[in-house]
Amino acid sequence: MVVSERRLAVPNNPITGILLAIPGYFAGVWLGTLFGLNDDQNTGVILGYLFATVAFLAGVGFLNYPLERLFGWQVIPITDPAENQGIGRFFRLSLDHKVIGIQYLVTILLMLLLGGIGAMLIRTSLLVPDSTITPPGNYISLIGLHAVMMIFITSAVIVGPFGNYLVPLMIGARRMAFPRLEALSFWVVPPAAVILVASTFWGGFPTGWTGYPPLSEQAGQGMNSYIVGFALIAVALVTSGVNMLATIIGLRAPGMTWTRLPMFVWGIFTTSILGLLAAPVLAAALLMLAMDRTVNTTFFVASNGGSNYLWENLFWFFGHPEVYIFILPAFGIIMEIVPHFARKPLWGYRTGVVGLFGVALLSWFVWQHHLFVSGIAPVLRPFYMLSTELISIPTGIIFLVTLGTLWRARVWFTVPMLFCLGFLFNFLIGGISGVYLSDVPTDVTLHGSYFSMAHFHYTIMGGEIFALMAAAYYWLPKMTGKMLSPMLGRIHFWWMFIAFNSTFFPLFIVGLLNMPRRVSSYNPALIGLNRWATISAYFLFGSMVLFAANLIYSWFFVSRPALANPWHARSLEWQVPTPVPPRNFDRVPVIVAGPYDYGLPNARPVADLGGIVGATGGG
Amino acid sequence: MAVRTRSYDAAADVEALLDARLVGVGTWLFLGAQLFFFAAWWFAFFYLRALNNNQSWRAEGVGPPSRGYGAIVLVLALLTAVTYFVSSRQLTRAFLFRLLTPVALIFAIATCLFQGYEMWHLGFGLTQGGYPSVFSGMTTAWLLQFVGTTAWLASIVTQTGPAGDTIARRQPAASFAWVLLFLAAIGVVNYILLYLVA
Repeated sequence: MVVSERRLAVPNNPITGILLAIPGYFAGVWLGTLFGLNDDQNTGVILGYLFATVAFLAGVGFLNYPLERLFGWQVIPITDPAENQGIGRFFRLSLDHKVIGIQYLVTILLMLLLGGIGAMLIRTSLLVPDSTITPPGNYISLIGLHAVMMIFITSAVIVGPFGNYLVPLMIGARRMAFPRLEALSFWVVPPAAVILVASTFWGGFPTGWTGYPPLSEQAGQGMNSYIVGFALIAVALVTSGVNMLATIIGLRAPGMTWTRLPMFVWGIFTTSILGLLAAPVLAAALLMLAMDRTVNTTFFVASNGGSNYLWENLFWFFGHPEVYIFILPAFGIIMEIVPHFARKPLWGYRTGVVGLFGVALLSWFVWQHHLFVSGIAPVLRPFYMLSTELISIPTGIIFLVTLGTLWRARVWFTVPMLFCLGFLFNFLIGGISGVYLSDVPTDVTLHGSYFSMAHFHYTIMGGEIFALMAAAYYWLPKMTGKMLSPMLGRIHFWWMFIAFNSTFFPLFIVGLLNMPRRVSSYNPALIGLNRWATISAYFLFGSMVLFAANLIYSWFFVSRPALANPWHARSLEWQVPTPVPPRNFDRVPVIVAGPYDYGLPNARPVADLGGIVGATGGG
Repeated sequence: MAVRTRSYDAAADVEALLDARLVGVGTWLFLGAQLFFFAAWWFAFFYLRALNNNQSWRAEGVGPPSRGYGAIVLVLALLTAVTYFVSSRQLTRAFLFRLLTPVALIFAIATCLFQGYEMWHLGFGLTQGGYPSVFSGMTTAWLLQFVGTTAWLASIVTQTGPAGDTIARRQPAASFAWVLLFLAAIGVVNYILLYLVA
């Protein structure tokens, strides 16, 4: 067999991808119309989205490697990051984990803006107790779009930008284990977002983020966006999971033992396990739903041997670990940042790791609490109530580790630290309200009300997004080479903290007063609390605008170059220069101490950076 | 602490070892994800079979397709996996590897064709209850994966030249054998469920 040195001649960039995606979409629609069993064009639209996505990825350059292999041509080696310079690298397929981290960051922030605008529209609709601002059909579509967009974002908002950028730096590696998979996990996100937004052209989808049949089977073509968009996110979760886990297992620098691994890396590790194993179940369920809608199978049609409970079980088997996919990296961030600014060793490192694994493990045994009011066998309720309540124990352990670290510390109240403290306050409320909801009688009363809506917004927005902000203020100086304005940062924190609590705490009350979720009209007696929440939500949105303004102001107007280690932190990522060199480390470092040995007499530096010549850095 | 240093040639060997380790770890992680994917289908099988909603798990006259034909597909899949597994253990002996891998590829293509033919001639309609849905879904999911795997196997065959990727990076080619064996094992479970238990 002769291996030639030919190359594919197509210029690879997102513009080529878009130019290929458009005919790809129409080719899919044409094929689906030709061979589809129904005249509702579901087959065509689904195939159109899939073809468009594959064509886009081909245009970006993802098919080069497999096609070159298949044609027997010489395979292009992984590009040396040193050859990948200039602003253009952010707009094309790059295999450098640092570039992918920045690509993720910008994309996720744009998606966050879209999801946030959706939230503002929802709250605006609720300024009046009837449906005069937004008709009920449009309202539920708006809820679905906001919810799924935010689920997409929160799945990746920490792992994508910060996990990809920082994990190799924190473990002493020069690259990721599978750079192509890492890049793929990013490049499927923009098509997923576009496909999801495209659902508005089909009238949206009426199911919210849960996609329950039979509504999802009867819904119009907007539902196809839900199916394909979510499937692409499942692909991102699996590819990201394989890459992150293999990197952490196989590319740790010499001396980076499991007990020296930074807590943020542990957070990424545990969340990657969940993503890797839960997302395939979602993918299978989505394939079943797609088949029901296209080739007339009856997986979820009770009158024909199927069952909508099948969807509910499969969806929530994915869906509940999914919420821990959101929050485990946030726990990792909090346990990572707090010791640095408390200037104390992390109190109970191993206990904290056990807490992360405890949450990850128990998250597989709680999914049926989402079905308490759907008619599951009553005999199953106590088990799922207990397992859900049990998960508060490892979560409490993580809290104790953090509070123990803060105990009698001389805290350095930087902006990242403020956001960590805000996280602790918000997540405590979100977590405790979750314990109430795990109780069957309470859940039967409050399920579907604004109480549960307030609960998960306290955990996700009050928890994960506050942790995201802590991470942004802490690590963006390393990632971008520019310090963010601390004054604007403090204003941002207090503005966001007050506006967040002012928005969502009243929603616990309206929930207790039986205001239902997903409904655009409500009891006029609740108009005062709703208007309060809406006006607070505008302020909350304003706080995010301030964050964006801080980014623009600090990057483009008052450029304050970041020092290599502005926080005087011990962990490895701060021991490399800013900006980070193309190959991260000149030599693979040899780790000689843990990252949290603050204030210890005779504490050694974390690493010998004169390390091993040449090698990528194995464990 | 004394710092070990290596020459760049030695570092290249380290890179190769590292590559082998990463691909090995990555393969097993990927198979873990695959296991959960197929477990979802097995759950659907047992769940709908046990519920038998509206007595429509298997409507009257609906039964599994020919067990013999299904067995042929299964045997072909097993032959693909076993042949490639044996072949991949001969990577250091390039002649045997180059001989056996195309044979595995022929078995793989035959598996896809036979399974595809069966899918077009099921003998029941997809709307005829839970069993036809599960059969078509589970088999389609398996077939799609097998087609993708066959394409990768073809790329291994085309890269077996002296400068090809298969010989240059032996461990990935060896790890791929586990993917084929895994899919064959899934095929065995699916056959038992869909043809014997249903």
